[in-house]
Amino acid sequence: MEKKIKDKLKIGIYELTGCAGDALLILDCEKELVDIFKAADIQSFLMAKSDNIDGELDVAFVEGSVSTEREKKELLDIRKRAKTVVAIGICACFGGIQAAFLDKKDWEKNFKKVYGDNKMTHTKPLQSKPIDAYIKVDYYLPGCPIDKEQFLSTFNRILRGNPPELYRFPVCVECKWNENDCLLNKDILCLGPVTRAGCGSICINHNLPCVGCWGPVENANLTSEFQLLREKGFDSDFIKKKMANFSGTGIADFLGELKGEKR
Amino acid sequence: MKKISVDHLARVEGSGGISATIDGKVVTDVKFSIYEGPRLVERLTVGKTPEEVVNIVPRICAICTISHKYAALRAMENALSIKVSTKVSLLRDLMHLGEMIESHSLHIYYLTLPDYVGFPSAIAMASKFELEVKVALEMKEFGNHIMKTASGRYIHGENPVIGGFGKFPTREELIWIRSRAIQFMPFILKTVSLFCELDYPDCPEEDTVYACCHPDQNKYGLVGDEIMLSTGEIINKDDYKSLTNEFVVSHSYAKHSRYREKPYSVGALARVNNLGEKLKGQAGKMYKKYFNPRWRRNPLFNNAAQALEILYAFERIPKSVDKMLRLSSSPIAEYTKKEGKGTGIVEAPRGLLIHSYEISDGLVSYTDLITPTAQNAEDIERYCYIAAQKLLEAGDEDKIKDRMDLVVRAYDPCISCSAHMAEVKKAPAEDWKAKLAAIKEKAPPMFVGVGNRNRSDDGAGVELALELKKLGVCDVYLESELEKHRILWEYKDLRPLILFDAVDFKEAPGKVTLLPLNYVIDKTRLSHKILPFISMQMRYKHLKNAYMLGIQPESIEEGTKISRPVRQAILKVLKEIKN
Repeated sequence: MEKKIKDKLKIGIYELTGCAGDALLILDCEKELVDIFKAADIQSFLMAKSDNIDGELDVAFVEGSVSTEREKKELLDIRKRAKTVVAIGICACFGGIQAAFLDKKDWEKNFKKVYGDNKMTHTKPLQSKPIDAYIKVDYYLPGCPIDKEQFLSTFNRILRGNPPELYRFPVCVECKWNENDCLLNKDILCLGPVTRAGCGSICINHNLPCVGCWGPVENANLTSEFQLLREKGFDSDFIKKKMANFSGTGIADFLGELKGEKR
Repeated sequence: MKKISVDHLARVEGSGGISATIDGKVVTDVKFSIYEGPRLVERLTVGKTPEEVVNIVPRICAICTISHKYAALRAMENALSIKVSTKVSLLRDLMHLGEMIESHSLHIYYLTLPDYVGFPSAIAMASKFELEVKVALEMKEFGNHIMKTASGRYIHGENPVIGGFGKFPTREELIWIRSRAIQFMPFILKTVSLFCELDYPDCPEEDTVYACCHPDQNKYGLVGDEIMLSTGEIINKDDYKSLTNEFVVSHSYAKHSRYREKPYSVGALARVNNLGEKLKGQAGKMYKKYFNPRWRRNPLFNNAAQALEILYAFERIPKSVDKMLRLSSSPIAEYTKKEGKGTGIVEAPRGLLIHSYEISDGLVSYTDLITPTAQNAEDIERYCYIAAQKLLEAGDEDKIKDRMDLVVRAYDPCISCSAHMAEVKKAPAEDWKAKLAAIKEKAPPMFVGVGNRNRSDDGAGVELALELKKLGVCDVYLESELEKHRILWEYKDLRPLILFDAVDFKEAPGKVTLLPLNYVIDKTRLSHKILPFISMQMRYKHLKNAYMLGIQPESIEEGTKISRPVRQAILKVLKEIKN
């Protein structure tokens, strides 16, 4: 039976800078969407409705990286209003593709190349960073975009007051479940061993290598993957670049370590 | 001054806003801003392999992910001289049709229809339109299913790669898609009637230029190697810059575009306006039944055009599948080229999408991406301005916010293309002072006094200019001097230009209003010969940086006496300019 509105958890779904793919994926839960709206009190979901309220929240789902002063303010406000904050998608978790320029000076140079010397009047640009650069994040739901099953299970568990249970292993595990041939054995650069699972090893199922779009799995053995690929003859800069394409700040420490070793 | 603004545009994909500033009876400023932060995608692709770039660029936008993938593939394959098999082309078209169905059905049923039937969301609308909401969801899901089957995932599938596909769908999967498409037909026909028969408001209505891909084989289509305009012009894809002319605006992280210094529109409405005659089957019949000249002038009809395109997509799917079933799968085409330049154009659901790359030594060395929303931004601002000014004149100020929202949403802006929405602001008293100071801060302006000194207050502009000259201010001209000195012909830099004139805004005499000159021209508020002269001689680009400082006259009877309030206004302006 449908709960009374006052007994429902108050939920907000917010989009910062990114492709809006995670919010869109929630809309893509076609069959479950009406149930989602019935089970919780969706206070704010800009992509789906226009009567949005900025009040106290039980849970805020935040997508995208912080890339402007305005977004930083909005995020700080969300944190103040919400008991629990869940980062959804790789941009919120690690900064995503736009966090590729990890060095501030490098970012400034490239910003100038796109926008010239034009003064931006509406909101100050910031170097793209994941949301935990500014606020405490309670849970991380990775993905590019997030996976429907993982989102629904996370949503359900949080609704019932339980922490989400996410895959804490790399894509390789799912790939074995799917009985794919290992592409690394065929000397193809595949990031499966270091990338967080949850996508269902979708690329390898299509005979294509993992591009690492979900970012590094916790305790990823990046050093070992790096060595393995070096042994297979890949250029070290190429491997680094490949690992960094989606991972943003998630790979910063490892790249720093590599630099340190060189010195 | 009052500002009407929709600060967080709801029910659009991404984050942006539109604001209109109202000074008394005049709309003095309309801005479409995208709060989405800068992502520098064009820069972070540099130095990566073509394959990596094809992985990264679809992340610009989740809802156009397939179109981005498709445009990138076409561009890269052009650059690297790769030919793909017919089956690959057919499967790419199929995934593209899937995206069109998914995006259009989400937009018309979920983001737009609630406005027309008076609900805040599609979920709320379900109480009254249960069947429509349910079946529309199924239709959207079907679009998603096609994308997933062809590309590997709902969003950001990686199966389409340079040279082909990682894996082709099975015969069974294709046959299922074919039969499901046919099952949907009755609902699709109802959808077209529903959206073509909606009561679209007649404000704003105004001509514009429409641009879309020019499909091969003289058919309706969503890809091509040329761009066609509603003016009849055809532009080769490699010359796309002659259409787009991108420039940076300070109020948005999405660049804007103008063609021949004029705003233009892209999207479903552009495609139907340019290519509708070529629609066949049921889509052709429906086009003939519903198309009328208002479609060419009113952006709100984009929703009707989207419905028509859904029908087009559903009719094409079975044919594409039949062709695919007769062909055997091809391996991924290999290539050896390491250098090249290539442009790829496709129609994203919301319009022309252009990707252009240069590859040197196997790595991408230059990237240029032009999204539909960046191209539509100028026309969105223009149509919102027209709507706001008309409604204000009709005394419907309270309707401005919702109408601007409706216009922006009709364009289906894919705001992640770097874009929440409408705001109406009231200008503070004497708002022109702050504006004037802001203009002066950019660069020292040039001033031109306009008017007829034999018609009392109409001489205010000339009077003002003469007083300024007396004070020794540089670059002050009279209307009569312009032709002689050919000043505007040589006016090539981007210094601001401010015209002084008596303008009838139907305000209290002596009220000063400062607004962009093109608003005055669009509205032909005044009939001095200067305006046709300026719009002919000056390029629109300069007009962007040209303003009208208008003083409300008390009288324009014959005579040379300037009224008291107008004289006081002249003194105030003099003081401000001197400062």
